[in-house]
Amino acid sequence: MQSVTISLNGREVTGESGMTILELARREGVYIPTICYEPHLAPTGGCPSISSCRVCIVEDERTGALVTSCGTFIVPGMIINTASPRVIERRKIIVELMLASHPDSCLVCLKGNRCQLRQVAAELGIGLPRFQRIPLVTTINDANPFIKRDLSKCILCAKCIRACQELVVEGAVDYFRRGFVARPATTGDVPLEKSECTFCGTCVAMCPTGALLESQPSYRGTAGTSVRSTCPFCGCGCTIKLKVKEGRVVRAIPDNADPVTRGTLCVKGSYGFDFIHSPDRLTSPLVKADDGFKAVSWEEAFDVIQKEFNRIKGEHGGNSLGVFGSSKCTNEENYLLQRFTRCVLGTNNIDNGSRLWGNPSHTDNGEAVGVIATNCASALEKADAILVIGADPTVSAPLVGYAIKRAVKCLEAKLILIDPRETRLSMFADIWLRPKVGTDLILLNGMARILIDEHLHNEEIDRETPEFKAFAESVAAYTAAYVEKATGVPYEDLLKAVRRYATVGKVATIYGHGLSLSPHGTETIKALTNLAFLVGKSAQGTGLYALQKENNAQGACDMGALPNLLPGYEQTSDLKSRRIFEDYWGHLPSTAGLTVFEMLEAAKAGTIKGMYVVGENPVASFPNTQYVRKALSSLDFLVVQDMFLTETAELADVVLPAASFAEKEGTFTSFDGRVNWLKKAVEPPGLSLPDWEIIIRLAAAMGYSMSYSSPREVREEIRKLVPIYKGIGYGLLPEEPQDRLQSFSKTPAVYRKQPEKVLGLWPTHNGTTREKSNKKYPFLLLTGSNLYQFGGNTRSSRASRLRKFYPHAVIDIGEADAKKLEISEGDRVKIISPTGEITAAARITDTLPEGILFMPSPSPESSVGQLFSISLDPVRKTPCTKSVNVRIERIGSDE
Amino acid sequence: MNKPAVKSAIDMERIKEIVMECGGHKWALITVVQKIQNEFGYIPPEAIPVIAKGMKIFPSQIQGVISFYAQFYTKPRGRQVITVCRGTACHVRGGESLLEILENSLGIKEGETTPDMEYTLETVACIGVCALAPNLVMDNQVHGKVDPQKIEQLLKKGEA
Repeated sequence: MQSVTISLNGREVTGESGMTILELARREGVYIPTICYEPHLAPTGGCPSISSCRVCIVEDERTGALVTSCGTFIVPGMIINTASPRVIERRKIIVELMLASHPDSCLVCLKGNRCQLRQVAAELGIGLPRFQRIPLVTTINDANPFIKRDLSKCILCAKCIRACQELVVEGAVDYFRRGFVARPATTGDVPLEKSECTFCGTCVAMCPTGALLESQPSYRGTAGTSVRSTCPFCGCGCTIKLKVKEGRVVRAIPDNADPVTRGTLCVKGSYGFDFIHSPDRLTSPLVKADDGFKAVSWEEAFDVIQKEFNRIKGEHGGNSLGVFGSSKCTNEENYLLQRFTRCVLGTNNIDNGSRLWGNPSHTDNGEAVGVIATNCASALEKADAILVIGADPTVSAPLVGYAIKRAVKCLEAKLILIDPRETRLSMFADIWLRPKVGTDLILLNGMARILIDEHLHNEEIDRETPEFKAFAESVAAYTAAYVEKATGVPYEDLLKAVRRYATVGKVATIYGHGLSLSPHGTETIKALTNLAFLVGKSAQGTGLYALQKENNAQGACDMGALPNLLPGYEQTSDLKSRRIFEDYWGHLPSTAGLTVFEMLEAAKAGTIKGMYVVGENPVASFPNTQYVRKALSSLDFLVVQDMFLTETAELADVVLPAASFAEKEGTFTSFDGRVNWLKKAVEPPGLSLPDWEIIIRLAAAMGYSMSYSSPREVREEIRKLVPIYKGIGYGLLPEEPQDRLQSFSKTPAVYRKQPEKVLGLWPTHNGTTREKSNKKYPFLLLTGSNLYQFGGNTRSSRASRLRKFYPHAVIDIGEADAKKLEISEGDRVKIISPTGEITAAARITDTLPEGILFMPSPSPESSVGQLFSISLDPVRKTPCTKSVNVRIERIGSDE
Repeated sequence: MNKPAVKSAIDMERIKEIVMECGGHKWALITVVQKIQNEFGYIPPEAIPVIAKGMKIFPSQIQGVISFYAQFYTKPRGRQVITVCRGTACHVRGGESLLEILENSLGIKEGETTPDMEYTLETVACIGVCALAPNLVMDNQVHGKVDPQKIEQLLKKGEA
């Protein structure tokens, strides 16, 4: 990088070539007003700005030229004046011209003091405009509960268009028409809810004026306090800023200083936070009485629990108790919960909610059963080719979806998509393979064989990996003819995909629950790992990414909320590992405990007598609701700790009210190992307490002292005892920006150390992976994620705007199937599986192959889980809830 | 005369073909829409998603390009297009009245097409033959020194 010296307001300053005048000025502490400039929009290597608003003009005194500082690179010898009389005069005219077509509605405009146009006008001392006023007139057509467009206030800065095309890469809006009547519009100028818009809210956060605003806000003014926090929904771990007014969170916006989210969020992050203030929140501990629940004090509740847990432990031993922890709680809470389970209850019967989605613990008895992301999400964008299998990240992990789309659209990466269903990613795919449902394993092994046959694999593997020969033999059976016949993918396409995958450069491989929840999921993941290993670039380049469903699925496992692993993935059976912790905690049980599904089975059988469920709602989120309900009801004693009186809490003997993410401190670990901080924004309602405090107090009530007074102290201990979290203490907590210039700087992302990589070669066991459809249940129902609902729907159903937008369950039916069944758009249908039945509204689509139905999970009103029986993956003990054979019936309107 | 044929149903397969002919490169967008317009007389809005899929461009971007250029039409046009010059010289020599006469005799406003799809009436800022003002263009042919009688003749000829 060459250094370039210029004169800036009479001062010699030095920057690097490729820097703009604006970037250098900001670094040097010189303020230049901007409106259309947005650093996140600058694609790598491209033009940093489109300079549409012209507000940031500066004068080059050598030539007298007025240039936009955001779009002009520094060159040696420039003499820049950022505030010469000419600059100020022109800048005023530019802003006055904007005001001349702007409505006078500032007094009632929701943007209020956050309006950049107003700020810049005020800074320049502009009063009433001198020019003839020609206000723009528009009508507001958007009926959705998220975004309201009032384009009369649009200044055509194109931030929304660029955010939509270059950041979230949805392309819902672009300029429409030309000249004075030009404005951003959807295709066909339809309201947003009829367009491709996913209501991520990125454009709303970036809009400098009141043209794009949050619809139906809970508070119309500008909130006083802003608290940096982390989104509590999916595993991406997006930083958000919570705006607080009088003890209530009134708005959530992306954190502009975050280099990973880059100013983006998804609809849940932007508009799904208001479950915090739901009237359904629990405000005091509840104990089951003859006529329902009775509100009690914490002491009374702890007393009941203490007596029962101690009684069960005394009579039947610690292993008759089980704890189901939460992939939604913080790292510190999971750490405390596993310590509580192991030290107080004296059992390893602890599991966390990520079990339901494919447990991310990466080894089991030395075999790969899942992969932890081997690299951070931001590296994803540097890949030359991206392979996506068993996932629709645009819905299940929007941040990853954005990164993939950006890589393809802006950086020309090649996307290889393996998905039987057409998703949003299909249009971005360079090669789209559509295997028959359940044939992923065959496809991947077929790809491995091609790799070896064509000598496209990393040649060192031949020499250095002793398993190679056996592996090559194990995939030899996957011949072209066999793979083509079994998967339905033309061999030519497969060959093309493999060649691209292996020869293009850096490769990123992404998989999601489509693999981990399918029958033979473990084998399929192994096959994928083999493929990544054979290409042999994963270690140095981009890597392998396992998407996580929940915000702290990764952290809960890192923290040892697992039956066989201690914090940092140390085996409970290993004496040396136990020693490290025993020095601090006292005696630890050694035999591995039960996973959650095994606990339920044991509960039904009567060997587990008591359970403590923290922040999970298995009755709603698990398959086979009836079974789960029965299992939990057969317990002697059940304690549920949650924010709401959930379906599971209703079965409990004691319910403990927990604080939400906005009411506590702690850290979450995202799917790629990024450690994100939570800061307390508001007080928990009523008597409710943060989970960490409840666990510590419960332990104390049971006579075991954990001497932590805050999550900070827990973090300090984790920092000391868990190697992968070494060095991650509160010292790394990002500071809130103090002034205007500081707010332009970026907060560096903090990653925990990636656990030791376990890429290797494991021959897979063959198996037909699809249950044969039969006459009675001729369709195969696939499940997947839903952008507007989440997990067990406990929180998202209590977020008012998410619920309003997606109030009914919907099932996707392919055009041909719909025609055969005489089902049309919007018809109520009944979906029947051997286990249960649910109803939904039909949505006709051209995205599905024949015989395949799709239903997002969760769905409002009816849980898809009811259709599934509990059949567990033999290794990971994860239920196979990806597909089920069903039949579908129309419910006539006259019935 | 090379008159654009007005097709009633849009052949989406043909649109796909046109996109394929241009290799699906996104820089070929203007050529693609020009070809479509040449064949169909206008760019049917329902073709936009098809073009988008074939070229991997967002539909909104295609709409942006189409709506930016005056040369593209998203509604069917008449078999004959009359363009009245509204430049300064033509204005001074009565261009405004010409437009009015045409609007009255065709029963449509500027920018509209007669219900029988025969005529489309448009205006242009200047066609550069000010010496012959007032001017109009009918079917790519410039007519100078236009007066009411000439308009009558032109319309009669057009119907023949």
